[in-house]
Amino acid sequence: MRSSLTAFVVAICMVTGIAGFQHARSDIEGWREIAWPFPRDGWPAGRAFRCATELCGDEIEVYVRPKAGFCNCDSGVRDDEEVDRVADLDLMSERFAPLAPGGAIRIAELPGRLRTYDLKMSDGSRRAAIGIAVSRGCDLLVAVAQGRGEAAEVQRVALEFLATDAVTKWMISALDGR
Amino acid sequence: MTGHVKLATYLGISLIACFTGAHAQQQVVGAPPEASNMKLVGANDLQARSAYQPTIHHQGDRWIAYVGHHGGTDDIPAPVNPQTGKAEPNGTSIVDVTDPAQPKYLRHIPGQEGKYEAGGAQMVRICDGKALPKGDRNAVYMLRTFGGEAHEIWNVADPANPVLITRLGGLKDTHKSWWECETGIAFLVSGAPDWRTRRMTQVYDLSDPAHPVKIRDFGLPGQEPGSTGAVPTELHGPISTGPEGNRIYFGYGTNKGGFLQIVDRDKLINGPKEPTPENLHVPEISRLAMSAFNGAHTVFPMKAMPIAEFAHDKDGKARDIVMIVDEAILNECNEPRQMVWFADVTVENRPMMISSFTVPEASGSFCERGGRFGSHSSNESMAPVFYKKMAFIAFFNAGVRALDIRDPYHPVEVGYFIPSITAATDKRCVTIDGKDRCRVAIQTNNVETDERGYIYIVDRANTGLHILELTGPAHAVAGLP
Repeated sequence: MRSSLTAFVVAICMVTGIAGFQHARSDIEGWREIAWPFPRDGWPAGRAFRCATELCGDEIEVYVRPKAGFCNCDSGVRDDEEVDRVADLDLMSERFAPLAPGGAIRIAELPGRLRTYDLKMSDGSRRAAIGIAVSRGCDLLVAVAQGRGEAAEVQRVALEFLATDAVTKWMISALDGR
Repeated sequence: MTGHVKLATYLGISLIACFTGAHAQQQVVGAPPEASNMKLVGANDLQARSAYQPTIHHQGDRWIAYVGHHGGTDDIPAPVNPQTGKAEPNGTSIVDVTDPAQPKYLRHIPGQEGKYEAGGAQMVRICDGKALPKGDRNAVYMLRTFGGEAHEIWNVADPANPVLITRLGGLKDTHKSWWECETGIAFLVSGAPDWRTRRMTQVYDLSDPAHPVKIRDFGLPGQEPGSTGAVPTELHGPISTGPEGNRIYFGYGTNKGGFLQIVDRDKLINGPKEPTPENLHVPEISRLAMSAFNGAHTVFPMKAMPIAEFAHDKDGKARDIVMIVDEAILNECNEPRQMVWFADVTVENRPMMISSFTVPEASGSFCERGGRFGSHSSNESMAPVFYKKMAFIAFFNAGVRALDIRDPYHPVEVGYFIPSITAATDKRCVTIDGKDRCRVAIQTNNVETDERGYIYIVDRANTGLHILELTGPAHAVAGLP
């Protein structure tokens, strides 16, 4: 009996260990998963990734997570102000200003909006950022990316990353609560 | 027993316990309501429309319930009104509850097309014309929302034949407004198109409902037009203590990042009106930030409550209390618990949470019943029959909960009522492994009381209106004869 239980516990540990390993690395060239760098807030932590190679031009970080439970279930992400409110820019800095009007976008086949921003960090440095919010029913999937380069380049690199199969699959499964 | 047999036995018992535990509490059509110290007096199905705010008005020698509705459902976007034979988008139900055992449905006023929160006419407040400074003395005015796009005022002097008086449109959202009948000043929860939030405050002088006068827009700095950076949590609803109390309590948030904001009413109405960050700060006395896990749906003030425990203290015998009610949003406990909080705001610039209340989940396996479990709203009547003595909390699938709040430092539940579901009760779903799994449960959404001591609860999942009364010890707490 004891040996059976021990084997069961070992098996569980192995499975969770493998899962943890898979969660901690990224198969996407140039990108590496990092720990969620923000304090706990109203929503559970998401996943954070960093690209620090020449493939990305400069160091870029992407943070993505589902946010379940909004009241406007039918209208989707309907304006730029909603991107300002929900897209997790305030996790990086409360001081951000849009660079231009946003636009419609689809991420993981979900409709929403994207907007570019100038971020003023707590140390006074500036970053370019993009905020993305897409919706499915009453739930949102939000992503923000930030880097030292031009906003257009941060946007291009981040969108390429978010469009990869592995990230897309994870985003959908996260929205499904898996 | 061998070890293997023991293990199998334990597993078997556990599986049976889990299975029966999950399903024994599921509501079924035909089963009786669950109740303690509360009794059903009467009911009306409200044409199986999803219901939000009830307001009960003593109108001449009659008692009339005005009930706001959310939009329709995916299955039935516009239920048929049996009185007209037509499909009508959910709006406002008007019910004569003079005899609470035999409520009579008088009229349905259609609302904005749209499903769930995207349509309907959720909010309703009533003022007599003779109470308003410039109202028609023969009129009774009903302020309601029209979905998210407008506020409307109707003359409901003849509640079976309402007449539209005024419409304030062009909004991107609305919600739970407040209207002072003695002054006509209204704090309308609106979405002004140029503001950065869905819901903020538009202050209007509605003392002459036929001729509304805009006073100002108000919100938290960072929500105003042209601002940048983080956007503070949106408004849910205010409650004013009028010119005498000179305070307005604003609740921000739903189930996340809530605030209680205490505002000087006179400075709000008469202070600088341009929505600059500086001007928006002027009327604010203080702000109590809640956990990121909780929002503030209802903020209900109870000033100068005598606290028995403090009776012999030289100072602080009476306390100003605000009851804060969060709103649960997600079905089947997929979020932090939304509950009831009591804040001591006697020292206004240092408000402090002093106690809380939630329904014990295990008392009904509420996380497994289906739909939302957690608080949503409280009664907002300040009639003496219950004010500062009892509070009634709509708790979704846990029905309505009656609290003895005479000592707000230690609120105690003294009764509850969970209505039976009916064939009209709508399902609520969660996504499991990418597929919907739906259950049917009562979703007590809002509650109100009248001066006679009746309690009115309405259901978000289309089960209608239930009129209740207290019994036993709960009856005694209220001091009812």
